[in-house]
Amino acid sequence: MALTGLEIYKQLPKKNCGECGVPTCLAFAMALASGKASLDTCPYVTAAAREALDSASAPPIKAIKFGNESVIGDENVLFRHDKTFYHPTTLLIRVSDSLSDDELSLKLQEIKGLEFDRVGLHYSIDGVAVVHESGDAARFEKVAGIVAAGTEKSLLLLSSDPVALKAALVPLASRKPLIGEATEANYEAIVNLAKENSVPVIIKAEGLDALNDLVVKAQALDYKEFVLDPGSRTPVETLANLTHLRRLAIKKKFRPFGYPVIAYTSQTEPLDEIMEGSVYVSKYASAVVLNTSTKAHLLPLMTLRQNLYTDPQKPIQVEPILHSVGDVNENSPFYITTNFSLTYYSVEGEVETSKIPSYILPIDTDGTSVLTAYAAGKFEPEKIAEAMVACGIADKVKHRNVIIPGYVAVISGKLAELSGFKVIVGPRESSGILSFSKTLS
Amino acid sequence: MLIFGERINGMFTDIGEALRNKDPKPLQYWAVKQHEGGAHYLDVNSGPAIPTEERVAAYEWMVNVIQEVSDLPLVLDSTNYNAIEAGLKVCKRPAIINSCPAEQVKIERVFPMAIQYNAGIIGLTMDKQGIPKNSENRVAFAMELVAAADEYGLPMEDLFIDPLILPVNVAQEHAPEVLESLRQVKMLANPAPRTVLGLSNVSQKSPDRNLINRTYLAMAIASGLDAAIMDANDDDLVDVAATAQILLNKSIYADSYLKVFRSR
Repeated sequence: MALTGLEIYKQLPKKNCGECGVPTCLAFAMALASGKASLDTCPYVTAAAREALDSASAPPIKAIKFGNESVIGDENVLFRHDKTFYHPTTLLIRVSDSLSDDELSLKLQEIKGLEFDRVGLHYSIDGVAVVHESGDAARFEKVAGIVAAGTEKSLLLLSSDPVALKAALVPLASRKPLIGEATEANYEAIVNLAKENSVPVIIKAEGLDALNDLVVKAQALDYKEFVLDPGSRTPVETLANLTHLRRLAIKKKFRPFGYPVIAYTSQTEPLDEIMEGSVYVSKYASAVVLNTSTKAHLLPLMTLRQNLYTDPQKPIQVEPILHSVGDVNENSPFYITTNFSLTYYSVEGEVETSKIPSYILPIDTDGTSVLTAYAAGKFEPEKIAEAMVACGIADKVKHRNVIIPGYVAVISGKLAELSGFKVIVGPRESSGILSFSKTLS
Repeated sequence: MLIFGERINGMFTDIGEALRNKDPKPLQYWAVKQHEGGAHYLDVNSGPAIPTEERVAAYEWMVNVIQEVSDLPLVLDSTNYNAIEAGLKVCKRPAIINSCPAEQVKIERVFPMAIQYNAGIIGLTMDKQGIPKNSENRVAFAMELVAAADEYGLPMEDLFIDPLILPVNVAQEHAPEVLESLRQVKMLANPAPRTVLGLSNVSQKSPDRNLINRTYLAMAIASGLDAAIMDANDDDLVDVAATAQILLNKSIYADSYLKVFRSR
């Protein structure tokens, strides 16, 4: 994002000396904004101003990388329909070091199982947060080691004791864990620890004012791999803080808040916790630490995350394989449509309403609708006939009838010839499927 | 896209006479009629109809009689800042001051007044020397107004930069410079100041005025125009404003978008 004339002007010395070759600072600011001048020609600009102007051209939220290919931050919009959200929320499961060894191994087993395959997509949990609650530095170090040995996933090491954190971090530094948390009381030790080991660090303060102050102080240690925690632990406060942080970073280019934000669920009831997590995933949390590690709790949250982080400019597609609606049998009707999800689900919904178990084959049209695909040459008889063979419909039904959308009636002859099926031209609108289906058989 | 209805202006015979006779009816007639046409604000200008010494009282009277029949906010249009201030005092809704050039003396008078009465300002990209020929100088004046808004604490959205369109029949080369100025003004600050034009000026003394007005309006909106002081009862012109809104994805499309635009 280019700087505006006003933003530049505010950083200039306002001497109007003309030494830059432009009569006033205001005019010089405009020349800079339009790229006609270089800041170097001003002999009086301060280092702080130079820094402010340089960093203003950086992305509004820094990308922070850690662990096993976890990338957080680097977002540009407040609403996904404005462009898209880029980096799906990193979900971490909380593991306390006060668990017994048996409990720990059970928890790790459960975390291992958090892999899902659904509608052709694979979801998995991103990492584990080891939390120092035992009060015993040696225990924290040991648990961190056990967790690290038990999973390939990204790690978050969370302790406010620099000594314990260091002991746990040093053997695991090659895994590049995220560490925390640097607070007002310990930030020098913890930020320096992060700096020495080149790992990102969570900066935590109570409220936005305190967070701003602490980030500025921490930046003075010449390190900028930060993740922010505004300290709030109730959903209402956290929602407000997440919104302010994202808005200030993007709309006001407020540099101290130009980092990804981590949120922690607080609800103890798992169903409430997932609701809370859903809010954070929807509203700008770059990472969320969860207590529950039950499959049933996590699948809906991960589905929501996947939905929210899809690119709204790209059409959503369904898998171009043979789908069945209801308890299909060898007499079930066989419909053809496209794999544009809006088209497919319109057809599927109507077929379902007809209460006649049916097969639907969405042709891969790169997620375009029937008429768009037809106009673009992606819904042609050759391609449909091929897909019919590939899906094996001939072995699944004993009839040889295929129903095509009414708008592409013109392909029926060619398709019949190529597929050997009898082509039945269905209604133009899927809303006509219900009455159409009654005329079948 | 905001429409500032231009019709309540003493330069028009009916309004001039009404001002001299203290007859509220023509002002009230045009207030209602322009609202129906699609105006969002009403420009109020006594023109030369009223002698200078009576203008303060005249603006107070004009604002009051218009507010009797209309809830639309007003654009107080005068070079007499005392008259504008008298009008601001009786305005029920936040008004816009029309206008302030990029001259330090006038900035010092107008900007604090705008803050005091929670008003917006139309800032003209000119100084005492007159209207610049090219867009560079227009934008330089706009920048001075933007810096003034920042200094006085006027929200950038309340500053309407007017890059000053001139009649195409005698000052043709200005039209593209104004379009370029509209584009560049949007880069001056974030949030950007808003922009406005005295649209009808482009077609002064030309034939087919409405055609020139609406063609230029579409071009200007595409270049970043946010508001125009214009004929709110030229239906074709208002249709252009509504259509441009749709084509720039600023309002959600509906088949009835022309009607929706007028009903807001």
